[in-house]
Amino acid sequence: MNAREINVSGTLVWYYYICPREVWLIGHQITADQDDANVSLGRFIQDYTYPRERKELAVGQSKMDVFRVTDEGLVIGEVKKSSKFKSSARMQLAFYLSELKQRGIEARGELRFPKEKRKEEVMLNEQTERELDKVCREILRILYLPAPPEPKKISFCRKCAYAEFCWS
Amino acid sequence: MKKTLYVFSSGELSRKDNTLFFETEEGRRFIPVEDTGEIMIFGELTVNKKLLEFLSIKEIVLHFFNYHGYYMGSFYPREHLNSGFMTLRQAEHYLDEERRLIIAKEFVRGAARNIRQVLKYYHGREKDVARQLNAIENLIAPIDECKDISTLMALEGNIRDHYYHAFDEIVGNPDFIFQERTRRPPKNYLNTLISFGNSLMYTICLSEIYKTHLDPRIGYLHSTNFRRFTLNLDLAEIFKPIIVDRLIFSLLGKKMITKESFDRVTEGIMMKEKARKCFVENLDEKLKTTIKHRDIGRPVSYRRLIRLELYKMEKHLMGEKEYQAFVARW
Repeated sequence: MNAREINVSGTLVWYYYICPREVWLIGHQITADQDDANVSLGRFIQDYTYPRERKELAVGQSKMDVFRVTDEGLVIGEVKKSSKFKSSARMQLAFYLSELKQRGIEARGELRFPKEKRKEEVMLNEQTERELDKVCREILRILYLPAPPEPKKISFCRKCAYAEFCWS
Repeated sequence: MKKTLYVFSSGELSRKDNTLFFETEEGRRFIPVEDTGEIMIFGELTVNKKLLEFLSIKEIVLHFFNYHGYYMGSFYPREHLNSGFMTLRQAEHYLDEERRLIIAKEFVRGAARNIRQVLKYYHGREKDVARQLNAIENLIAPIDECKDISTLMALEGNIRDHYYHAFDEIVGNPDFIFQERTRRPPKNYLNTLISFGNSLMYTICLSEIYKTHLDPRIGYLHSTNFRRFTLNLDLAEIFKPIIVDRLIFSLLGKKMITKESFDRVTEGIMMKEKARKCFVENLDEKLKTTIKHRDIGRPVSYRRLIRLELYKMEKHLMGEKEYQAFVARW
């Protein structure tokens, strides 16, 4: 991998909190099984929810799911299938907010769970920023490993689109 | 899991709005595109660029078979999964003779062990295949000692010779004697069935490769010439005995295919359409059958087993886990 390819993205932050092996695999463009039912469902939710809002704002390596410009400024949203991995989702969104901040844009974040008809606000504060900084360094360390971290059986494996890859 | 669409009738396949539309003299029907994994075409089919574009977006592979049922070629849409990392690893293992041999040997070993498993089953059912079984068992260990691909290929041919000689005893039907392996064109009914089954297997493997980060042009046992697909040929070696051959034995045993299922034509012997349909339907059924996988903890279909082989290959190439071919336990 050359240095230009190495970049932490929001998705990697999300996966970091779930499974470091996934971070390495995605970082090497070894994507998960796209036929997996949960992957298809995620894609569907992404494509068919919030039709009135503008989709996909690309900043750096990150793609934000939805965004809108209000009187109080920019609001970016991350759409998730469920709130089960809420803390990972919060950090993912916080990462986007910090990417925008580095570019001089103050924004607010909203986690969206359309199936649960819920949303949650996410703000950037000093503590989160410190944590993000640590996480980004940790992600880079994983990405530079010559081989992915060994698979570990966790509860997420049961529904993971990499499960067959990891456990075959 | 997405379905395989087998087209035997003649007509026009086209894109209609956001789905597939098939129109023949007998009728018209819509085919749900999201539910279609690959399309195998046996009939006369008219397609246009708009359709190919659509199939490309939907990542659907088209396999074409000619009038005689032989594989002609595939519409393999542009690669949708790209991992420079994996491509480099795959090429690296091809270029390094030693590493290439390690993988090629495992394909031959896997094929031989599955062949042994098939023979063991018939040996247990009082078929007189002990001699062939024995000969093949004695040829498995020498696979390790092969120093180059050509010796390995010769050994593989040797194993296959013994294996095919057991076919007459297994089938036990004078209409379906094996004689010798003949291709292009196959010279008897049994060879016609084997060729047909094998070419279906190659296309199925190709479709599964399309869903991974591997390049089908880089095979290890079968030489790459950077034009033809070869990795699917390697992969098919492992599954031919347990999927295709077993299916042939079962179709013949149940008299679902008889000598009346064939036509003699100037180019050789041809399966009638009805026989082809019967073969394909039963193959499809077999591929959908699931078994319990020890490590994954989910039921896994035969077709999925093919994909798992590719995942194991990827892990081998990544240097994570040495590839071990799937061997049937039954």
